[in-house]
Amino acid sequence: MARLVLGRSLTSLCGLVAFWVLVGTAGAPARSTEELVITDNPTGRMGGNLTVALRSEPKTLNPVLAVDDPSRDVIRCLHADLIHINRETLKTEAALAKSWEISTDSKQYTVHLRRGLRFSDGQPFNADDVIFTFQVYLDEKIHSPQRDLLVVGDKPIAVEKIDDYTVRFSLAQPYAAAERIFDGIAILPRHLLEGAYRDGKFSEMWSLAASPAQFAGLGPFRLKEYVPGQRVVLKRNPYYWKQDKSGNRLPYLDQLQFLFVSNEDAQVIRFEAGDTDVLSRFSAENFSVLQKEEASNHYHVSDLGAGLEYNFLFFNLNDLSSKGKPEIARKQAWFHDRSFREAVSSAIDRAGIVRLVYGGRATPIWGQVTPGNKLWVDSALPHPQRSIDQAKELLRSAGFSWKSDGALVDAQGNPVEFSILTSSSNAQRTKIATIIQDDLSQLGMNVHVVPLEFRTMVDRLLNSYDYEAAVMGIVSGDADPTSEMNVWVSDGETHLWNLAGKPSTPWESEMDKLMREQEVTLDYARRKRLYDRVQEIVSQNLPVICVVSPNILVGAKDRVGNFRPAILDPYVLWNVEQLYVR
Amino acid sequence: MKYLVRRLIHAALLMIGVSFFSFALLQWAPGDFFDELRLNPQISKQTIEGLRVQYGLDQPLPERYGRWLRSVAKGDFGFSVAYGSPVGPIIGVRARNTLVLTGTAILAAWLFAIPMGMWAAIGRNGWADRICGVATSTMLTIPDLLLFLCLLLLAVRTGWFPAGGMMSPSAESSGFWAKAKDLAGHTFLPAFGLAVATLPILVRHVRAAMIDVLESPFMRAARGHGISRSRLLFRYALPVAANPLISLFGFSVATMLSASLLAEVVMSWPGLGPLLIEATLSRDISMVVPVVLLSAIFLVIGNLLSDLLLFATDPRIRVE
Amino acid sequence: MRRNHKLGIGLVMLGAIHVAVLFAGFFAPYGFATQNRELPFAPPTRIHFVDAAGKWHARPFVYALGADPANPEGYVTDRSVTCPVHFWVEGAPYKIAGVFASRRHLFGVEEPGRIFVMGTDAYGRDQFSRFLFGGQLSLLAGLLAAGLSVALGMVIGGVSGFYGGWIDEILMRGGELFLALPWLYLLFAVRAALPLHASQAQIFLLIVGVVGLIGWARPARLIRGVVLSAKERNWVVAARGFGASDMYLLRRHVLPEAYGVILTQGTLLIPQYILAEVTLTFLGLGVGEPMPSWGSLLSSLQQYYVLASYWWMFLPALLLVPIFLAFYLAADAVQEHLKSVTL
Repeated sequence: MARLVLGRSLTSLCGLVAFWVLVGTAGAPARSTEELVITDNPTGRMGGNLTVALRSEPKTLNPVLAVDDPSRDVIRCLHADLIHINRETLKTEAALAKSWEISTDSKQYTVHLRRGLRFSDGQPFNADDVIFTFQVYLDEKIHSPQRDLLVVGDKPIAVEKIDDYTVRFSLAQPYAAAERIFDGIAILPRHLLEGAYRDGKFSEMWSLAASPAQFAGLGPFRLKEYVPGQRVVLKRNPYYWKQDKSGNRLPYLDQLQFLFVSNEDAQVIRFEAGDTDVLSRFSAENFSVLQKEEASNHYHVSDLGAGLEYNFLFFNLNDLSSKGKPEIARKQAWFHDRSFREAVSSAIDRAGIVRLVYGGRATPIWGQVTPGNKLWVDSALPHPQRSIDQAKELLRSAGFSWKSDGALVDAQGNPVEFSILTSSSNAQRTKIATIIQDDLSQLGMNVHVVPLEFRTMVDRLLNSYDYEAAVMGIVSGDADPTSEMNVWVSDGETHLWNLAGKPSTPWESEMDKLMREQEVTLDYARRKRLYDRVQEIVSQNLPVICVVSPNILVGAKDRVGNFRPAILDPYVLWNVEQLYVR
Repeated sequence: MKYLVRRLIHAALLMIGVSFFSFALLQWAPGDFFDELRLNPQISKQTIEGLRVQYGLDQPLPERYGRWLRSVAKGDFGFSVAYGSPVGPIIGVRARNTLVLTGTAILAAWLFAIPMGMWAAIGRNGWADRICGVATSTMLTIPDLLLFLCLLLLAVRTGWFPAGGMMSPSAESSGFWAKAKDLAGHTFLPAFGLAVATLPILVRHVRAAMIDVLESPFMRAARGHGISRSRLLFRYALPVAANPLISLFGFSVATMLSASLLAEVVMSWPGLGPLLIEATLSRDISMVVPVVLLSAIFLVIGNLLSDLLLFATDPRIRVE
Repeated sequence: MRRNHKLGIGLVMLGAIHVAVLFAGFFAPYGFATQNRELPFAPPTRIHFVDAAGKWHARPFVYALGADPANPEGYVTDRSVTCPVHFWVEGAPYKIAGVFASRRHLFGVEEPGRIFVMGTDAYGRDQFSRFLFGGQLSLLAGLLAAGLSVALGMVIGGVSGFYGGWIDEILMRGGELFLALPWLYLLFAVRAALPLHASQAQIFLLIVGVVGLIGWARPARLIRGVVLSAKERNWVVAARGFGASDMYLLRRHVLPEAYGVILTQGTLLIPQYILAEVTLTFLGLGVGEPMPSWGSLLSSLQQYYVLASYWWMFLPALLLVPIFLAFYLAADAVQEHLKSVTL
């Protein structure tokens, strides 16, 4: 639990300065008015380097523009936010904001900033930086992908400065996940970026080509160097605003290095060879390979259980009248029938998928919220066992029948035949689809699995609707249901099975209502009931047939201390300031 | 001279053709760069549309191509939509890395191919020839992918070589010789694989060419004159046998940037290969076109080099 | 004498491979899609002649595999039941060339045994059967692509070499252009334009066909070279003096000179296109599940855990070596035969 230390004293200022000089060790001496966060982790050793692999080169170090994961991984180590989501507890905690008050109508948040903090280049931090930051993020001409997170009730949040260390945020409506929207909004240094922003050149700032001197941030590290195609190196930020119980100024590490290793197998190989110190989120097959060499190579790998990813099979339920695809439209008669979808779900061998595709390191799911999301999972949902007989019963009741050679035909005598799309670059989802195909062949359905290149598949799913079924997965960006609004609300853009923009079934209307209501309900117990009902609807009506959630698998060398991996991204580096090397 | 000018004009036309058709082909392929964002529930359609407009992805083909041509004329090779920064420096570094790898491999391949081929030719139909034949046939039929995967496995299992990459993390801070040694260690396996992949064809051609020459009348005459064996081989036979070899050499140079794609992907070498694949799959046209053009330039240079060398060395080719 | 040897060996090997692949259903003990979910990544089955009691059997047999309680990934052989190997057995139905139905297989074992000559893959599917069936698609694809490349190369190279001048210039520069372009996008476009419910094999062959059509530049160059020298031959000049038309000359006199080169090039291209399939699969343009192809069998090797733990997955790649060798031997032999004839 983070406690605040108020550094102001009316008595001897010199005594206080001396006190801080004694307490603070490496890095800049803490100023008397610095309000630091004292963390409660076990004390580590100062100094040392840590090497981590990134799946590809970061594309930019500009937090407002960064879209891809590698960029965000590096940026998170360079910057800090006002309110942070603790990856371990999945709850919000104070970061650069030391406290805040919520107005009685729940629409205004008055945030008090920590005083005396400085950016990594030594310049002071205050409310002007916060105002500037939100101005940039909300600027429509800059097109920040995070802007949408700051739009509540179709209106962007309003930011106003109360004094040098107090800022007020105003929302258009009460918002259950209001505190969570601040996570990941990196507070930018006004003194370095305002000029470029005024000139309209903000988008060109802080690309990888910029020299380290042009950067500054409030994160635990600052940029040291970037070697194109190979690595980016960070060094510790002496002004970082966290301290451990023993008075050591965090981070412990002197240097953090990111290597670019283009694919997962290469990452596993280099971890095994000792080139990297931690391994984040690798696939189940590599787990057993790594497990064998644990003792001899001085590392350990852990299985954290289900994460927030859910993989599912879904059918094309879009309205195709304007698209002119008679073949698919004909088959939609089967897809729209709930008994058909239930039969498919009943025939899928989830246990077999867990065993064969993930080597046992996955969790079967029947709804979109995994057991890993302890705050929101509806444990009352039924988990029906696999039953081919029951599937056949459901099909029979829906008017299907079997020919003498076992092939399934519908009421008009047409053989049931369709294709499942997957992304060819995702080996696991293709495997899931192959197993589903074999399962459905036991029902007499003739199914083809079609692995397509990723963007070709996306084009079919979102533009041309030229598909019959697909296996996809979504990794929730946050445990909170609000992060999934666009999936479950009818006019959401990732409402994959039906992108018409309005509900086409009564249960879809009900889901819309429930999701919008939970968005503005602040009481957790009430929200949980609402979202439980949404999970029930999904599990009964099966717009998506959830199949499996891969477990989070991580690894670290034995010499890495304070390694506490979490199930939400960033899995291993969320507490990077607490990591140390023995 | 006129010939040179003509070839250069052809090269320029080729560049324009390649760049235009690359743009055209991209338009046909479904999807664009920002499609990946569309599956993220936390990003709205408006933002994606805004990004599309900002980078000009919504404009028709001729306009985009025209804009690109104009920026090239100014010396700027375009702005990568993925990296958000100019394309030039990124490609420059990667191209240098690739050339280090392929340069070493080509050098090694030729240094081994010429003696091996000559050795096989001299002892033709004898045991030396048979050994060479078997070795080259084996090397020829091993699929490249299998070769590189085995080398990778070798590196990991034995630990004699680094398992990929170009530089160790620790080498950056060491002195010159330490860095050179580190680079050599990383280069060895991929270059070895590349050399093995290209060696057999070279050896076969060297052998065939040498056999042709060794059986010709003027060689018999020279032998009759009592000239020593090594002089015969190197001063008389080799220059004449050089004709097909020069074409092959030109071909080696022409494919210097593209031959190592598989090696770079399997062994994580930070060269043009992985960059091109990533840019191609993510539809980052401003990265793809300069890389393709660079490869085309090498193609042209390779052909030109071999033609010019042929002119210079082989007096039989004077008709043009 | 040596020439005929090489040609003989090469042709025999090629013939054997094609027969094995054509009658894949007969030589393979199982279908290519039959999953054994309890036996993923099972090692190749060992054949025994002497059982646990020390008795010698005239008929070879195998033991069934069971899960190993101590090691979740390993298997333990159940030595209590011997499952004899039978020949000329009845098994899963199949069709030869899509026409002749049969149920006969060359060999098989009694239940509960399984005979996995090359082990199984991630779904417990017999790799040996998949290799044979995969050859059908891969060899056909290789032949198709090579044939198209060479045919187009013959037309363009022939015209280019025969007429010379500016036609030659344009065609050869066009060839360079073709070599340099990023064709992947065209392939994505073709794939996108195809209907989803076309048969997997048809889609795949179409893609490979396009790849073959794109690759005309190299063969065209070589054929052009041959045509350039052939058109100056005495008999061609003589025929022209007799008033033969261009078409006739090309067809009757000039192109036959190039047949040797065409044949050699074609034979050399087939293995290259078979390997190109691996790249296509890797990039999302391969054949869909559960149809096997040599490319998809090879692409599973690109994953490290397969490479490191399951050595029998290398076998399809290793088997390709003698198959490619057969092609190269045949091509070599044809080339040498040519040289001796034309000199």
